[in-house]
Amino acid sequence: MTEPTAPNKLPVMIGIGEHHVGSVPMMAIGLGSCIGLTIYDKEKHVGAMVHIMLPDSSGRTDRPGKYADTAVPFLLAKLYDAGCHKASLVAKMAGGACMFEYFGNNLNIGERNAERVRAVLAENHIRLAAEEVGGKAGRTVAFYPNEGGKVTVRSADGAAHEI
Amino acid sequence: MDAMQELGNIGAAHAATTLSQMLSSSVEMSVPKIKVVDISQLSNHMGEESAALVVFELQGEIPHGGYIIFYISRKSAVHLTNTMLGLTDPDRPLNEMDESALIEVGNIMASAFLDATAELLGFVMLPSPPSLTIDMAHAAMQTLIAQMQEEIDEVMLFSTELVCAEHKIDSDIIMMPETSTLAMFVERLENLMKSG
Repeated sequence: MTEPTAPNKLPVMIGIGEHHVGSVPMMAIGLGSCIGLTIYDKEKHVGAMVHIMLPDSSGRTDRPGKYADTAVPFLLAKLYDAGCHKASLVAKMAGGACMFEYFGNNLNIGERNAERVRAVLAENHIRLAAEEVGGKAGRTVAFYPNEGGKVTVRSADGAAHEI
Repeated sequence: MDAMQELGNIGAAHAATTLSQMLSSSVEMSVPKIKVVDISQLSNHMGEESAALVVFELQGEIPHGGYIIFYISRKSAVHLTNTMLGLTDPDRPLNEMDESALIEVGNIMASAFLDATAELLGFVMLPSPPSLTIDMAHAAMQTLIAQMQEEIDEVMLFSTELVCAEHKIDSDIIMMPETSTLAMFVERLENLMKSG
């Protein structure tokens, strides 16, 4: 591992469909219906974060981080490659809001994203330790593998709290 | 691409005129930009900043054509509604009256934009009923991209900045068409150029 771990280092920004594995702080800004999913190894103090946009890949393979059904196995494979063991992994997620009442009702992608993440984690026997999903408001999620896997959620008014 | 820019130009110019009339003040319009943005890079264009977005789906001859968005930073939104409602405090929170005013402005501007572009293209585009959010700009745009009918890895944004210096209002009008709608725009514009 050559990854720098200075505490004041800027977090790695995770864009839509992107992911990162390591021990440095990571951040997904402005999640609406998207989900920020973190999986943390409490023994090795490393983790992974992914920014999921849609529930179902329908067989697409070019951006595995974009879809709930492919993102979870993709992240797990990366963590196993990094020497992590399933028994010490815990997941947290935030996002999945419904920001537009008029357009959102018929689709509610946020809710479907969250449901799918829960289901795929369960299929893979990964414990979901915390979640903050739904509602109407956007969220920014930060993940600190080097601080015990801490996950914080911030809203548009700037107020942040740990989940 | 020049023809597409002209399309954005005509739409935005009409929207700018209506904004200027509503504010009884001059409104400067930037050169319209057409940006092709990979979804993973959206945060380079829209950040965490709090903004009001009045969103309309493009309807009419095309049932789900994409979106047209009146985007205004939270600060500018207060300046805008203060001007309209005759208030002066620039630091007050936005209330229901402000929300109605923002929706009304968005409605008039989106209609002006679509009237003008529809006339050029020769097909009818109507705005859906409006939906307003005042929240993180990236979160709002991301939500719209996720619910587009045709799944995409890149979005095309027709974006024009509208500035009213007198009242310190900085806003954008943004059109985000579906891929098939974009193809229709291109086809119509090519035909126009051939016949013109």
